[in-house]
Amino acid sequence: MEKKYKSAYYSHVIKIALILIIGGVLAVWARGLFLPDTMGQYGHYRGSDLEDQRNVEVRSHTNESCYECHRPIRLVHKAGVHKTVSCEFCHGPYADHITDGKYVAKMPVKRDMEIKTLCLRCHNEIIRARPEESIKVVAMPLHLEEKKVNVEHNCNQCHMVHDPLLWVKAAYDMMGLEMKGDKK
Amino acid sequence: MKEIIDIVDIKKEIKKDRRAFIKNVLSGTIAGSLLMVIPAGAALDQRLPEQLPGMRGNDSPFTEKKFAFIVDVTACIGCGSCCVADKNEYNVPDGNYRTWVERYIIDDHDEVFVDSPNGGLDGYTKPRKDIPNPVRDTFFVPKLCNMCEKPSCVQVCPVGATYKTEDGFILVDKKRCVGCGYCIQACPYSVRFLNPVSRTAEKCTWCYHRVREGLLPACVNVCPTHARKFGDLNDKKSEVYKILREPHVISVLKPGMGNQPALHYLGLRREVV
Repeated sequence: MEKKYKSAYYSHVIKIALILIIGGVLAVWARGLFLPDTMGQYGHYRGSDLEDQRNVEVRSHTNESCYECHRPIRLVHKAGVHKTVSCEFCHGPYADHITDGKYVAKMPVKRDMEIKTLCLRCHNEIIRARPEESIKVVAMPLHLEEKKVNVEHNCNQCHMVHDPLLWVKAAYDMMGLEMKGDKK
Repeated sequence: MKEIIDIVDIKKEIKKDRRAFIKNVLSGTIAGSLLMVIPAGAALDQRLPEQLPGMRGNDSPFTEKKFAFIVDVTACIGCGSCCVADKNEYNVPDGNYRTWVERYIIDDHDEVFVDSPNGGLDGYTKPRKDIPNPVRDTFFVPKLCNMCEKPSCVQVCPVGATYKTEDGFILVDKKRCVGCGYCIQACPYSVRFLNPVSRTAEKCTWCYHRVREGLLPACVNVCPTHARKFGDLNDKKSEVYKILREPHVISVLKPGMGNQPALHYLGLRREVV
């Protein structure tokens, strides 16, 4: 470029450069103002969220927690074929019953036909995708007819819900019979 | 009464110099400081049995473990215990599911029918009536977060609200999330949803809070047939290690997506997506 076309003044360049630098500094400052303090502590996320995640309330406990107080049921439930069934599945979460070690509310107990609905949720043969190794399924009311009982009967009239074979086994023992298909 | 005075004191501290206060709090042990700021929640009953050894009392931000989740499709009976436990644990709003159970029915013409009424929350009580041909195969497939080695949801988050911890959990920061929904679209497994109450993205966390307390995830804990298995792959005695190392037909969902899930399925059929 010829020299006569070149400006002798650099003020416009300096102005732009200043604006860019000040803008940049302001942007970095503003970013720091809006970002949480622990952002980027371990990675591109708020580090203190790890602690928040750990502080989520544990609402479901284990069967052992229930057994702490409910002793008689423990003996029955733990020994029976339903030992892997969670108490909280039928009765609701532990936290609704006990909070901070204190009793807060009564747990719901299923009654009458609710029990049958609950049993058939797992034991209904009509839903075919049920592996034999996992569960014993029955067809209703065929099961009742086979066992020669009234078809109006509810499941819990023969099966103790916490250990379904408890009374049945006792009855067989009393009669001196052997249970058919007893795998145990 | 003493607690009230304590809270008032903290408020005074904050008012004096907010920045200094936050720095002080963070420089101390984070666990202890949070107890100061947040009113002490439900302290976990320490008498609870420790289901995952070596987790309780570990205050480091990350553990040395490598967790894996295995779902045994051949054992699942579709009872929905897991779905119930999950809803109980998180009070998941109706119509949204952190975990759900799908029913697959394959007829002898190789047509696949899938349904999941209310996510399996109410169990499966009715057979499907609309299958034209005899059924060849039928099974249940529980679904949950795959905890990918290469999570696409983390990659797309514009605000750094969803992240992968060093021990493999992918979590969502409720306070950072702006609810844009990019992650919901990015997830190949559709495990994410927008919580209608908090308007933030939410998903299964493999019960991070329970695992850090040495408890099994809520769904694993309640599964009556032990179809859901959870454990540490670094522990050579754990069940998941044995299953994943010994010869089994193990598969993950959508391996072609390249997400490398840490959720594995036993006895999965090729029809499952």
